[in-house]
This record gives sequence, C-alpha cells and structure tokens, in this order.
Amino acid sequence: MATRREFIKAAAAGTGALVVPQYATAKAAGAKPPMRFIFLHRGNGLFPTALVPPSLSKADAEKEAKKDPLDLDLGKHELPGWMNPLAAHKADMTLLQGLSGKMCTTGHHTWCSSLGVFKANERLSSIKWATVDFELAKLFPSPMEHVELACFPIGGGNARPSLNGIATGFSARAAQQPNYAFGSPKIAVQELFKSVSDNKNVQVQTQLSRGVLEFAARRENRLADTVSGTERSKLQSYADSIEAVRERDRKVDGMADRIRPHVPQLDAKYLADEMTTVDRQRGHVEVLLASLISGLTNVVAFTVDELGTEYTGLPGLEGEKVNMHDVGHGKTIGGVAADEIRFRHRRQHMTLIDTIATRLKKVPEGDGTMFDNTMIFYFPDNGETHHSHGTEYPFVVLSGKNTKLNVRGRYIRLPNYGDAGHKTLGNWYTTLLNAYGNPIKHYGDPDPGLARFGIDQTGAIRIFLS
Amino acid sequence: MGNSEHQPPRSIRFCRNGLLALLSLIGCVCTAARAADSPKEFAVPKEVQSVLTAYCVDCHGAKGKGNVTLEGLGTLKLNERLDTLNRVQDQLFFKMMPPPSAEQPGEKDIRALSAWVQTELRAHKASKLDDRLPYPDAGNYVDHVTLFNGSNKDKPYSPARRWLVSPQIFEERVLDVFKLEGKEREQFRRSALAGVTNPFILPEHAGVRYYDLPVLDGGHLLVMLTNADVIATKQLQAARAKLGEAKAGSPKGPPAMKTTPAAFETILARKDTPTDAELRAAVQTQFDCVLRRKATEQELAQYLELTRNAIQVAGNAEGLRQMLKAVLLESEFVYRLEFGSGKPDEAGRVPMLPREAAFAISYALGDRGPDPQLLKASEEGRLTTKADYEREVLRLLADTSYYRGQVDPSLNGMHIQSHPATHPRLVRFFREFFGYPGATKVFKDVPRSGGYYQNPDRGHLGTPGWLVHEADEFVISHVARDQRVFENLLTSDEYFVYHNMDTKTGLALITEWKRVYETLKDTPWKTKPEEVMQEHQKLLVAAKILDPRTKELWREKRSFLSYMYWFQDTFGQGRTPFTRGPFTHGYYYEHSTSYNLPPTPTRHRYLGVETPQFKEPKDHPLYWDYPVEQPFHVAQRKGILTHPAWLVAFSSNTHSDPIRRGRWIREKLLAGVVPDVPITVDAKIPDDAPSTLRERVHSVTKAAACTKCHSRMNDLGYPLEQFDDFGRFRKLESLEHPDNLLPKPKGSTADVYKTKPIDCTGYLDGTGDPKLDGPVTDSFDLIDRLVRSERVRQSIIRHAFRYFMGRNELMSDSQTLINADQAYVKSGGSFKAVVVSLLTSDSFIYRKKVGN
Repeated sequence: MATRREFIKAAAAGTGALVVPQYATAKAAGAKPPMRFIFLHRGNGLFPTALVPPSLSKADAEKEAKKDPLDLDLGKHELPGWMNPLAAHKADMTLLQGLSGKMCTTGHHTWCSSLGVFKANERLSSIKWATVDFELAKLFPSPMEHVELACFPIGGGNARPSLNGIATGFSARAAQQPNYAFGSPKIAVQELFKSVSDNKNVQVQTQLSRGVLEFAARRENRLADTVSGTERSKLQSYADSIEAVRERDRKVDGMADRIRPHVPQLDAKYLADEMTTVDRQRGHVEVLLASLISGLTNVVAFTVDELGTEYTGLPGLEGEKVNMHDVGHGKTIGGVAADEIRFRHRRQHMTLIDTIATRLKKVPEGDGTMFDNTMIFYFPDNGETHHSHGTEYPFVVLSGKNTKLNVRGRYIRLPNYGDAGHKTLGNWYTTLLNAYGNPIKHYGDPDPGLARFGIDQTGAIRIFLS
Repeated sequence: MGNSEHQPPRSIRFCRNGLLALLSLIGCVCTAARAADSPKEFAVPKEVQSVLTAYCVDCHGAKGKGNVTLEGLGTLKLNERLDTLNRVQDQLFFKMMPPPSAEQPGEKDIRALSAWVQTELRAHKASKLDDRLPYPDAGNYVDHVTLFNGSNKDKPYSPARRWLVSPQIFEERVLDVFKLEGKEREQFRRSALAGVTNPFILPEHAGVRYYDLPVLDGGHLLVMLTNADVIATKQLQAARAKLGEAKAGSPKGPPAMKTTPAAFETILARKDTPTDAELRAAVQTQFDCVLRRKATEQELAQYLELTRNAIQVAGNAEGLRQMLKAVLLESEFVYRLEFGSGKPDEAGRVPMLPREAAFAISYALGDRGPDPQLLKASEEGRLTTKADYEREVLRLLADTSYYRGQVDPSLNGMHIQSHPATHPRLVRFFREFFGYPGATKVFKDVPRSGGYYQNPDRGHLGTPGWLVHEADEFVISHVARDQRVFENLLTSDEYFVYHNMDTKTGLALITEWKRVYETLKDTPWKTKPEEVMQEHQKLLVAAKILDPRTKELWREKRSFLSYMYWFQDTFGQGRTPFTRGPFTHGYYYEHSTSYNLPPTPTRHRYLGVETPQFKEPKDHPLYWDYPVEQPFHVAQRKGILTHPAWLVAFSSNTHSDPIRRGRWIREKLLAGVVPDVPITVDAKIPDDAPSTLRERVHSVTKAAACTKCHSRMNDLGYPLEQFDDFGRFRKLESLEHPDNLLPKPKGSTADVYKTKPIDCTGYLDGTGDPKLDGPVTDSFDLIDRLVRSERVRQSIIRHAFRYFMGRNELMSDSQTLINADQAYVKSGGSFKAVVVSLLTSDSFIYRKKVGN
C-alpha cells in the first residue's frame, strides 16, 4: 500500500504514484472492481462546433455542417486545439454530438435538468426523480454513496449565498430531494475525511455526532420493544435506519487506514476562504480523486462552473473577474474576445480532466488501473449555447477499457433533431443505466416536440451497447 | 354511438362439451390434492367444484387459456397454487371472469367460489388482494352498495396508529419549534426555513394522497440528520450572537431567530458546568418546543446523561446543541400518535386520549397543532364526548384566522401568490380529489398551442400555473359559499379568469383608465406625447399611468404610449381591457384562449412604442372584453371537469387522454374499480394518419384482452374529447401527423393539419340508476347525469372520509359514511356539515388495536 507521503508526492508532482486503492488487490481476492463515474458539467453552453475535429475530410465536414450522422475513428483525426491537454488520452475519448435535451430547462440556468432529464427550476417540487449520477451510485454502492463538489454561482438567477459553504447542488437524491454540494475544497475535506481528521475540533464534532446517533438508536429500539405488529415495524424501520447510518460510519472508521493515506494534503491556497476559480477547481479535483481512490465513493458530480460563477484566475486574465453572462453575450473582457475566453475556459476544464485521467491511470487496480473502470463526462448544463434551447448537448467522454459502452476513440454525430434515429439525453442516460445493470425502459421525460416527427424516444442507444 | 367499446353484458349459452373432461378434472384436483398436501390443508369443497366445473374449466382446464390452468391445482407447488388462486381471486373481484360472452354464474355461486379462494389464500397469509386493501388505489374495493344500504351494524373505529406527518404539518411543526406566530410565521410559511429540507412528499396521483401508511425510513433519516443540525444551530443562534460569539451561524446562512429560549440562554451564558436543574429545564424546554409535551422522569434521566457527557467533551454550547439535536431526531417529532386509552367497549374500542383528540381535530382542519383553546379543553377533560368534539370542530370551522393561509405556497412565484383561504386544508381536499394541480407537471410543445402556452420555468409555473390558480379560486369560492358544493363544482360555468383584483378596485381602475382614454384619444398623443403628458399629468397620475415622483416626463413616454396604444386596442374597440397592462414586466397573461375566450394583446405588440422605428399595428383584432366582475359565465364549459386546469392535468404531452379522464370518472365519481395494468401490457396508441385520437385508442383497446378494462374507462373519457390537451373546446380534431400537414397561413407559428369532426358520444354505466345510465351525447350530457347521481355524491363522501381519516374505509365505517352523506343532503349541500359529521363520528373518535 502506498504511503501518505507517496500520495502527497504524487499529487504535488501531478504525475501520480503507486497509490493502492480499495480494489488494488481485486485480482487476488477475485472481486470485480466497481465502475466509477465522474460528471463534470459547466455553464454558458458548449458550442457543438467547438467539438469538431479540424481534420475532417471535405465530405465529412459537409455532413457535419448539415448535422448528418457521422461515426469516425478519432485516432485518425486531430483534436480541436482546446482539447490538447487530453492528447495523451485520445484512444479513451469520445466526442459525442447530436443529443438533444429540449425536455430540460434550458436558457441561462437549468438546475438539475441536464442530470435528471426533466424541466427543473428553483422549486423543489420540480425535481421529479433521482438524477442519473445518483441512479448510477445505487448500482455501485459505497460508504458515501455520492459526492458533489461545486464552484457555486453567486450571481445570476440561481445564486448560492456563499462560495465556500454546503449548499443545494445540481444533483438530486430522489423526487423533491436536492443534493447538497461542497463549495470549497476545505469544507469538502473537513466533511468527507472527518473520520481520520487530525483537527481536534473535527474529531470532537465527529465524536458528538456519533454519540447522538447512538443515543437515538437506543431510544428508538427501546420504544420499538414496547409495541408489536405494525407499530413495531414502523418504529423498527426508523431504528434500523439509524443503525444503518451508524454502520456506514463504522465502515468508514474501519477504512481509516485506507482513507488516511488519501486525505488530500492541499496547499494553503486551496484551503483559504479566498481563492481563484481556477484554484478552487484544482482543489476540488484533488478532493474528487481522493474520494474515489480511497473508496469513499464511486460517483462524483462536479459543477466546474455555472453561468453565475464569477470566474477568476483564468490564464491571461488573472486580474479580471470574468462575468460568464457577459461572455455569453460576446463581450470582450480585459482585451480578450469572448470566443477566446470561451476557448480558455474549455482548455482549463481539459487540464482538470487530464489531471483526473492521468492520476487514475497510475492507480493499480485488478489487472490494470483504476481508470480502466472509470467514465468521465464533460458536458454543458444547458446545452448548445448561452441562450440555449436544448437542441444539442455535446459530450466529451473519457472511458477506461472496462467500460460496457462501445464508444471509445470515436467521433460520433447522431442523427439531427427530428431526423430518424435522433437521440436525446434520456436515451444516452438510459444507455448508461442499462449497460451497468439498471434495466429501466427509459430514463427521463420525453420531448413533446419530437412527437411530431414520429420518433420513438424511448430506450437505450443500441449501437453503443453492441 | 360511434365506435364505442361499451358492450352491455349478453348471456350466451355456455357450451358444455367439456363436461366429461370437467368431471375428471375435479377428480384430478381432489386426488392430486390428497397426494400433494393433506386433505385438511387443501381440498376443494363440493359446491366450489361444481362452480369451477360449470363456468371455468372449459377454458382453463388443459387448455390453460391466458396461462391459467385450474387442472391439477392440487399437484402444484404451494407457491404456484397460491399464485393461481390469487389470479382467480382478482378475476372474480374485478368481475372480469367469466367473460361477458360466456354463461354467467349466479351470485350465490360467485360468493361460494370467492369465499373459498379467499379462505385458502388467507390460511397461508398470501392474499395479494388483502395486501392491497389499505392502499389508496384500493379505496373502492369495499362494496359501495353494502356500505350505504345500512345493513352493516358494526361499530366504526380507526386502527390505533402512528401516522407520519404530512409535508405541510412538518413545515408547521418546524415553525412550532421556534414558537413563531403572526407575520413572522406567515413569512416563513411562504419562504420555508433556509437549510431545512422537508423529508416528506406525497404521491402525485389524483385523489386522496395523505394516508397513515408510510413509514419513517433511511431516506427520511438522512434529511432529518441535516435538519436537526440546522434547527439546533438556529435555536441557539440569537443567544450566541447576544453573547458575542461571532461564528454562531449555521453554514447554510439561515436568518437568525429573534430569541433563544431562556433555559438555553442560561446554559450558554454559564462559564462553568450547568446545574442539574438548569439541564432539566433545558430538556423540558426542548421537549415542549419539539414534541409539545413534558419529558418523563425516565426521559429526563437519559437526556441529562447525554447532555452532561456532551458538555464534558465539547463545552456548554456544543453539548447543549447535541441535546437539541437528539430531541429533534425523536421519531415522535414526525409521527402523530393516536392510540386511545381506557377500558375497551364491547367492540374492543377505546376513545382517543383528550390530548390525542386535540391534535387529531386540529390536523383534520388544518396543518397546525391545536390552538390554546383546544389544548385547554383537552387538559381540562372537556374533550371526551361527541358533543365536546362537535363544539370544538364548529368553533374552529367558524374561526377565520387560526388556519388561514395560502392554499398552495408552491404555486408562489415572481408574480403569483397562491390564494388564501380560511381553511386551506378543506380546499385542498377538492384539489387532491380532482387532481387539477397536476397540470403543472405536464409539459407541452409550445408551438402546438399557437405560441401562447408557456411551460413552467424559472420563477413561474407558466400557463398551467395560472390555470391551477384560477381553478383554485373557483373551488375556494364554492367551499366558502358552502351550498350544493359538489353539484356546483361539477356544473358551474362561472369561472375566474385572469382575475387579479376585487370588483370594486377593478371597476375603479377601469373607470380611471377609460377617463384617460376618452380625454386623450383626440389629442396628438401619438405625435406629441410629452406635451400631452405635461398637459394631463394630474389625470395620468391619478390613473397610475405616470409615476407621481417622476420629474422628467420623457422617461415616462414608453409607459404612457404603451397604455394609450393598448387603450386604443381595447376601449377604442368598445372593449374593457384586463386590469393589468400586458407590457408589465413578467405578467404574461396570455392564456384566455385556453377557455376559448378571445385573446388578450401580448407585450410584443407594444414593444418599442417610444422609439421612432415603432410602426403602429395595422390590424385591429377584437380582444377579450374583460369582465371585471368575476366569476362570470364562460360558454361551452360546465364545472371543474371542463376547466382547462383539469383538462391539461389529464392530458399527455401531445394529446388529450380519454383513458385517464375516463378512469378518473370511474374511480372518483362512480366509486368503481379498474384493475392495474397487467405488466405484460405495453400498448401504444398507433400513429395512424387519417384517424382521430379516439379512433386510434379504439383500434388498440378493442381487443378482447384489453376491452375488459378499457370498457370501464374509454366510454366515460370519450365525451371529453370535446376539449383538446390545452383545455380548448373543439368540434374538429387536428390530425397531427406529418402526412396531414397543410401549408401554414401567413403569420402562423403552429403547424396546420387536416382536421376531422370530433365524436364525443359515450356511455355512462355504474350509477346504479337506470334513468341515468345509458348513451350520452357529449361531455355536458355526461356531467348533467353524473351530478344527478346519488352514487356520485356518495363517492365524493367516501373520498372525503379517506381524506380526514387518512385511510380507506372499512365495511365497519358504513354508519359513518351514511351519516356524512345524510348530513350533506340535509344541510343543502354543505361540505362543512360533512366535515362535522366525519370528525364527530365513531370512526374518528375511537381507536382499536388491530392485528399485525
């Protein structure tokens, strides 16, 4: 097992090291490692044109321009410039175009629409079911079930009160139940790794919380013992639930030796209350990696930014507070044109993904590495542009060799909106869920607008499962 | 009657060719039974055998039609046999077998067969029908006729129970923790307490949704853990701030409560360890805040130990907070307790304890716990008799302030606030029963509406939100009037549309506006607006067109011209405008066409009026002549079932939904049952270009296997095909298929298709009244008959029973239901009379321990 020193060293060097995760001995034990899923979503839209390889043949470029279906070997093409940080991962990449999501809330802010495939808004009642990341987390259980990190918006129509707190996230646990996300790397480390914290206050809080749970379990068990039949089962269910949380805590405690080496040892700048957006993203990536590698969770959702995020620390614009809405409206900021700012945003996001993929490729697991059992999704929360309509949700996907989807190393443009064979976000998530064990017939709301084209909107994208 | 699927039962002689086979089958059954189980365990009584032989075996013998074979029943493994018997039980219960085309057994035979199947299944605790009985969708399983014919003399009761609080009660209980009252309470009711998540949700189906069945589980606990942490922090926040602790706030940035209870503040202020007396006081305070009762000595001892230990580890403030959290995690915080006490009567029933009764009455009438007067009555032993219950229920029904609140705060948005009512919970019964709030969950393809329809979005609930808001006002007005409530809700054609101010205020505003238009219409207001504004400033300010604080009139040019062009479009055409300008930011009242009323101008018509580029529209559409006084008569409508909110709620994303509309009528108005959709059914309505939806539905449901269920729904839903999925009355159906596309008229945003006349005939059965049952010509005919039906009235009473009792009716509730029905009839249709009757019934007052 790698030491904490080795892990820190790896993190600092950005090259990774021989950190041994929970399933490193999977082969010896005969256990199959779980799949991990990382959802990185961003605001302000992602132009479909930005994903087009510049090396397309004339014929393919014409098809692309007309949004006709394409399925190309990405290995034979150049990546768009902003994806250069991912050049080493080209064989694992998929550029997926043509998915529509008009059944989602689109436009400026979308809440958990793009993960839930329904029209979400600020009302809890609009949350219709668990978002897809939570559905996948159910298929690969872990002590923490799911971790959500966010560079919160503090402006716009979906603002949070603070950048650093724990606030409503962009995922949902179940109908009408929003998830909560960690706004800063500091609070995420405090909460996720409190069981192995060196901090005295955190240790005390953990001890107290455990004490209250133990007390509650005792009270409810005693109460249950005084009744019988249905009444007993009502009380016992609650007592059992408390026990289950305590069991989770015990599990996490039992993993202390495994978790401790992976507690992110972040530079002071990542633990400060004030930091640039770019540093916040980097700090969150370290938390994300540590949560996955330590086995605390198998699913992470990460709001890289949202339209209301005040962007700071962007290369070449270090001194500027970039208003994403202004960028969406084509405004030049700090002498840099909006398109160029968008380019830099995207490239910054790619460096984060590169960090994640590279590090996971260094973590041995079973016959290969942890990356083999990982899928990373990068996509816009609102679709194709700033004032989006959901006609397209472009995806950059990185997946390891053990993925059950037949998509690696390809540029795929699915049939355009309204054309035969057109697919939606719902089809895409259904594909993921079906591939990994949830037989759901269709995940997500239908798009009433597609009905007029006579397109069957239900089910998985079969060609990805072949 | 068009292609109606209704097929009146016809007795066709059953072919008896299989008699020999049948006799040998029974022999097989018995022999096999003896071989497989002891005769005691499994035997088919003679009279049952003969029924099976006569009516079932021809199809379900060796042939095993529908994969059900009754041959060799005794040779089956126990679980297989029970599975078969469950299927038989379902078929008998839903009266689906024998099929109408076969000879029908007599009532006596059916009873014998049913009783035997039921006994066999219950002997193994394997009756799936029994398992379903407590659930909302099985509410109608208890025989309606027997419930109301007075033959059952059992003593009514409710089971002794823990009943999980509703989402609304949870919100109020959280506010109770902080002892909030008056405006402060109202403010948090509307906005909810930051950081506190409601762990409870109700199912979305139409009908009664709040039952005593759900159980506190792990999902609730995860939310409650966070809530406990946040609430406990908030409870101490004010005192900690007062004591100079800067970081006393919760991480979720909640607003500070004004005060912290004195018992907590004492502990926070101490520099040393609190005394036992101080800790006891704190525990008692938290019990009072959270559980509204005193802690027992045993509880005090337990909580004192917890608090002392926590204080030892983390100091006074943090130790105290842990105690607060622990009380907030008590299951009692989210359960209602109704167990009763005393010596059971001859039927094994005990009355609720006075304290339990106080909460039960209060939660029946509202979402809050009992008011001080009710609590006092319970403490003084004045809440034990039926007369006591009646006195308190009548008093609280007459109280117009204690429960007053918005009917549904989740409707609130930037420019819409849910209507208030004196007793929102009474109004919510009808909302849930009719299910029209479901309209906000149905999303539409906007261009299909012609562009006027808005889906719910950020900050608003769009067109369905307005429709639900308007339906709410319709319901509130009838509940408040409290005369012939059911009949009026089902038949009144007097609706509220747009209605945003009372008649007096509205008329005064229109008078002012008209005066402005009449005074200025012949002035050069289009070419010299500033001069006109200057000259008539006083008049314009009085009409609230100009802001009296504005000194630079040019700033008001847009507002002035918008009003004047709008007045020209309305007053100028002899019409009254709506009492809010269409150009007012965010007020998109554009849905009058949902009611087939003329349109109202959209804000786009007046965009840029203040600029030189503005071109005055050349068209002069006839806009809706807005009736300030409401409700008003709306043509081609009759009651809530033809209200656009209900019609949208019972529609799909792209078309109307005669099946769901029909099912609603069958189950909610006719107390009928429709079996669950078999899991093997994956029927889709075919896309058939030249056919109407009705024709397409018929084509796929006419198959024998489908029509068994669909004959109970479709014919009740077809008459409502007079209304499309946006709720608009129609005579022609647009055949929305690519093959039927027509060239778009100039300026049209919606696709235009060929049309076909609507067939809105149907068939009513199940009222039990031969004068009412029979073919119907359209939706209005159907509604007219329904409203005259005794069964419909009683069906609503049954649903009201479920709403106030939190459970399905049992046969022993017969007398309660009969009394409630009579209370309604004798009072001239007062819903309050029904409520009083139910809340003073034995079903409400008495509790009885029932089996597992």
